[in-house]
Amino acid sequence: MNLYQDIKATAQAYWITLRNMFRKPVTIQYPEQKRVPFERYRARIVLTRDPDGGERCVACYLCSAACPVDCISMQAAEAEDGRRYATWFRINFTRCIFCGMCTEACPTRAIQMTADYEICRRDPLTLVYEKEDLLIDGPGKEPDYNFYRHAGIGVVNPRGQGEEERPPADVRSLLP
Amino acid sequence: MPTLTIDNQTVTVPDGTNVLEAAQQLGIVIPHFCYHEALGAVGSCRLCAMKFEQGPVKGIEMACMVQAQDGMVVSTVDAEAQELRAAVIEWLMLNHPHDCPVCDEGGECQLQDMTIAGGHGIRRYRGKKRTWINQDLGPFIEQEMNRCIQCYRCVRTYRDYCGGDDFGVMGSRNRVFFGRFKEGKLESPFSGNLADVCPTGVFTDKTCRFRSRSWDLQEAASICPHCSLGCSVIPGARYRELQRVRSGINRQTNGFFICDRGRFGYGHVNHPERPRTPKLQGADAAWPEALQLARRRLTDIAAKVGPEAIALLGSPRASLESLALLHDWAKQLGGARFCGDPQPGRDRAARQLTALLGSRARSLEDVRRSDCLLLVGSDPLNEAPLLGLAVRQAARRGARVIVIDPRPVELPCNFQRLSTGPEELPQRLEHLVSTTEPTDDLSTLRTLLHQAERPILCGGGDLLGEVGIRQLAAAADHFGTGLFVTLGGPNSYGAALLSGDGPDADQLCEEMLAGKIRALVCLENDPLADGPQRMARALGKLEFLLILDHAPNRLSRQADVFLPTTTVAEGSGTLVNNEGRMLSFSTVFNPGIPLGISSEGGHPPRSFSPTTAGGEPRPAWAVLAQLRGENQSPEMIRRKLEGRDSRFAGLSLLDPDGEGQRVRGGGHPAGSHDQSFPHPAPEGSLPLLVVEQLFGSEQLASLSPALDAVQPDPQVLLHPETAAARGLKEGDTIALHTELETFSLQLKLNAAMTPGLLLATRLRDTPLELFAPGSPTPCLVGKGGGDA
Repeated sequence: MNLYQDIKATAQAYWITLRNMFRKPVTIQYPEQKRVPFERYRARIVLTRDPDGGERCVACYLCSAACPVDCISMQAAEAEDGRRYATWFRINFTRCIFCGMCTEACPTRAIQMTADYEICRRDPLTLVYEKEDLLIDGPGKEPDYNFYRHAGIGVVNPRGQGEEERPPADVRSLLP
Repeated sequence: MPTLTIDNQTVTVPDGTNVLEAAQQLGIVIPHFCYHEALGAVGSCRLCAMKFEQGPVKGIEMACMVQAQDGMVVSTVDAEAQELRAAVIEWLMLNHPHDCPVCDEGGECQLQDMTIAGGHGIRRYRGKKRTWINQDLGPFIEQEMNRCIQCYRCVRTYRDYCGGDDFGVMGSRNRVFFGRFKEGKLESPFSGNLADVCPTGVFTDKTCRFRSRSWDLQEAASICPHCSLGCSVIPGARYRELQRVRSGINRQTNGFFICDRGRFGYGHVNHPERPRTPKLQGADAAWPEALQLARRRLTDIAAKVGPEAIALLGSPRASLESLALLHDWAKQLGGARFCGDPQPGRDRAARQLTALLGSRARSLEDVRRSDCLLLVGSDPLNEAPLLGLAVRQAARRGARVIVIDPRPVELPCNFQRLSTGPEELPQRLEHLVSTTEPTDDLSTLRTLLHQAERPILCGGGDLLGEVGIRQLAAAADHFGTGLFVTLGGPNSYGAALLSGDGPDADQLCEEMLAGKIRALVCLENDPLADGPQRMARALGKLEFLLILDHAPNRLSRQADVFLPTTTVAEGSGTLVNNEGRMLSFSTVFNPGIPLGISSEGGHPPRSFSPTTAGGEPRPAWAVLAQLRGENQSPEMIRRKLEGRDSRFAGLSLLDPDGEGQRVRGGGHPAGSHDQSFPHPAPEGSLPLLVVEQLFGSEQLASLSPALDAVQPDPQVLLHPETAAARGLKEGDTIALHTELETFSLQLKLNAAMTPGLLLATRLRDTPLELFAPGSPTPCLVGKGGGDA
């Protein structure tokens, strides 16, 4: 009985090896040869700009709150035109687990994930990305969205002149 | 005591409780906006709908508008009530903008919580939203009217509770606007409370605009260090920077609100010039070196000249723990001189109060519930603003308020003013209790105080002095009432209890001048700014000067040894407020140079260091323990103090979130002291009274950049009659010649003050800082004069 089992197992193993010898290999010769990931692949994080070229990030701290490994930190400030922006914005990619929670939390579509998966360095400090390393020139996904056009606080268009807004109310009017 | 059933749970509540409060007692959360414990219910937000199933009221009602009655059966989960609440919150949200990411309220937004709790999750309204033009409301409050949901809390707080009249509601139908008639600074000293009460982001704290989210802030229950009332506050810090202060809740002291000095005076903690390293004669040094030198020099002097040659000078802004260690150290050294307060006048007043208060002590809550208040020598809005707010609450309930003061005192309520000179205050009190002159202007006051059920005599320690406080206590006994006297600093009472009948700073100064005292240890005080006037000369006679402080101290460079300590927010401890209530505070954050300063606005450094930049300050109790060569914890200090001194029983059990506990037993008045002027007043001179101002006088708050915008200009007040007699008119620059200094100030006339008196506010970094608040100095007035 045992002898039969042994012969069967040996033959089966050889058969599997033999069968795979004629298959196309799945491994590629990285880094000479590179794989193209899917569009929604979750890798290196970037900060995008709105279609008008302004920074989309309003430093609302939601990404840093959502981040399960606490790798995002920033400081908000107010620009002269009333725009809220990040004076500095830091992502520590040695800590990032590329879970994508930050992009889900982002209310302005500023923080987005790209397909650039090649993030390894010899010096860990070079993986701590500052705002200038993160900010890209384009809008990324949802290219037409500009948060300030919908916020109603009057940064890119005068108050009360946005698409979803009525002109400012006249406090002194007594009309019914 | 009605008993009612809410969601199948039975609860018995006191009479006059509404159903919403009864539900809260059971832990049932019902969305609501307009109801607030301090403001009451108005039933305007229509959100707290409940179904009344049985009992005297039937059907859907607003829970905040229905008094709890026996036999009520109420359901909060009834389908009809839930549907109504969801509909109401949807209406309230119709015009609410899509700007939560840039709204400072985000993270602590009651509107967001209530929207979700009300059952409205997804917006259906696709129409256009109403917008507003905002107003600039000054340096403290930022307005964003688009977010308003018309709950009226701001108006009810600002106008009704705080008595401000420059802010209100205007407009009609859905154009109801909450703001000022014209743009401008909010004038009430309680304007910061708008940021606390607004359930959404219409009014936010401008000083921490866009700085942090509430979830990122390190917060802990603390005590406000800016006056003697000990209001409960919750400071919030991030990246080693104290970024905001919001009001805590202590129903015995401040209730739910704080003043703008307490809220925006936090800048001293982040001050760029704050000394953060130990110094030896101005040069930076390491802790072990500095401690060793200080210890050696003090033991040398104690051995060479005797322990009496060492003076330990405490401060009303030091915690009870550090003062107790300092006091104990004096004994350990073999009888070194100890004094708890560098300002002799305030010190003597505080000690007199500790000796007399006992069962006469009243709390701010008692003041709010009083029916007749007599304020003697007290200017609440400038000296202790929350007392002014408490007086207003009493007045709103119908209390009579009478003010006897030489200053043009203003209060946020109606009151009767009896003008008097600063030195006549004790006599006036004496007349009040004597029945020999029944028909003077005090007779109505006498009748009022006799008729009132819960009268309270309020006083200001600065103007009353120790004689006045004695008279006030005598008057309180005569009318069978209690006392509420404001003192100089947050721990004046504790310092006075420990000082007992020991020397005051004047005596120490004399002994220093006489060469008897060779070494001085200053705990968290600046003897040049707050000490007796001869202090500058006396300091020159010292062999050794040790300073422990956290504020930029004038002597930090001159001192032989300077040791940096932590602020109230950076450590834990206990303060004893003006009614003898021990209030403990806990650590909010650890000291260090704020990231915003060390990184100069850029990103944090890209290098690692095991130590925190500027993290060297240590709690004063820890430094004192190290100086004594001991290893102590605040708990050990508290337990030892309790064991040694039964007055502080219960100290170690205090809860920073609790209401505190009164000390048991009183102190001693200071020893007798000659208080007459060193020289008779010169011919034609007027008494110059230098008094505290809301902004600019208190040392720590004056270091706060947020308050720079409201810093008053130095000026001197005079009654129009006195001015006319001397040929002076409004706007004149007059030269004031005092024994201390000659300086010129702009003249302002005020008819509400006492004639024959010069009145100036004690502003920091001006010559007026040198004058002891509340004690008049003879002053010659001349026209013109050079620069101040």
